[in-house]
Amino acid sequence: MILNTDSMKPIYVQIAEWLEVEILNSNMKEDERIYSQYQLADMFTVNPATAAKGLNLLADENIVYKKRGLGMFVSPNAKQFILTKRRKQILEQMIKELVIEANRLDVSESELIMMIHNFKQDYKEE
Amino acid sequence: MNVIQCHDVTKSYGQNRALDHLSFEIGENKITGLIGRNGAGKTTLLKMIAGYIKPTQGELQVFTRKPFNNLDVSAKTIFIDDNMTFPDSFRLTDILSEVAPFYAAWNSSLADALFNYFSFDPNQAHSNMSKGSKSTFNSIIGIATRCPLTIFDEPTTGMDSAVRKDFYKALLKDYLEHPRTILLSSHLLSELEEILEDILLIDNGSKCLHLPIMELRELAVGIRGNEQALLTFVEGKELIYKEEFAKGSLYVVIKKESIEQEFKHVRQNGLEVLPISPDDLCVYLTGKTGGGIDDVFKRS
Repeated sequence: MILNTDSMKPIYVQIAEWLEVEILNSNMKEDERIYSQYQLADMFTVNPATAAKGLNLLADENIVYKKRGLGMFVSPNAKQFILTKRRKQILEQMIKELVIEANRLDVSESELIMMIHNFKQDYKEE
Repeated sequence: MNVIQCHDVTKSYGQNRALDHLSFEIGENKITGLIGRNGAGKTTLLKMIAGYIKPTQGELQVFTRKPFNNLDVSAKTIFIDDNMTFPDSFRLTDILSEVAPFYAAWNSSLADALFNYFSFDPNQAHSNMSKGSKSTFNSIIGIATRCPLTIFDEPTTGMDSAVRKDFYKALLKDYLEHPRTILLSSHLLSELEEILEDILLIDNGSKCLHLPIMELRELAVGIRGNEQALLTFVEGKELIYKEEFAKGSLYVVIKKESIEQEFKHVRQNGLEVLPISPDDLCVYLTGKTGGGIDDVFKRS
């Protein structure tokens, strides 16, 4: 597995996001056991402490739950939760970038909205 | 449990202090990277932990004992560097079979598998090998001994990039199955940072940082932008590094915690926040002067 070492995102976040995609793609289903920190460490060639932090990130958001002595399992509502979260976080971040860049280029708010609108039209026609 | 306890240790060579009042502890089954510039004291420290040399002052304990001339510590420790010497008449296979009886956890099938993977000639003499091959062969010994304390001093010197990656991967894989305390020294943090849990950064024989590598990554950020705006923004704050990279533009490295309050406003001021690699950060933290090599070439 290749990690993007230049990314601003820490490796453990990248591991958590990769697991989220696995859940979104239904490669891991509800109440199924998720990879252990040691399996992830081996797959990504990272220290198991790093992998554990990635897993804990998911546990903190209740995307996975712990069973004592058995490991971590995918929560029943994980998929829906990830979808909602990603829409909110990724879109919001992109919009933030967009607005900053538009300001730098002296593009007014109405122009920007127009551009989005036009692109949506074009995209539909394709 | 702490495998290594180092309290106020100093090592002097004549007037020169290789280690200067160094204190730290290393917990069991952690992989720690010992990082520092040339001459920072990495090798001196590792040799002292392995029991090759004595501290001049201070208390050093490995497995709760003083490591110097201690058989118990020696049996549990292996020290791998590129100065390992073996009898000239030994072929590589002889070395592998002779190492075995000295180390309780030696795994010969692992040693043989790695030996074959790296395509060594069993009949070759150790002294005739290239620098990179020697390092690779020594690393096989380091991994296959499975010592409770495994120390590598610049293990990848001379290895090509493919072998380096294989070495770190092999070490990590075997560690996952057989956890042990591992110390690795390097000045190339970027090639090994992913497999580390902790990092110990030393500078001029003193401890500069000792923390989980994940915290190091979160420690600082780089900010770039207009000189005036940037100087106003960081006024009164301690800078780790500062560089003028174009006329009127400035680049600084600053601790994240010192600008936490104002962080939201960075980008509104037209300043750019850049990630900083642990490798670069270590270089800046152990820099001899505030500037860099650019200053040497700067015309006054």
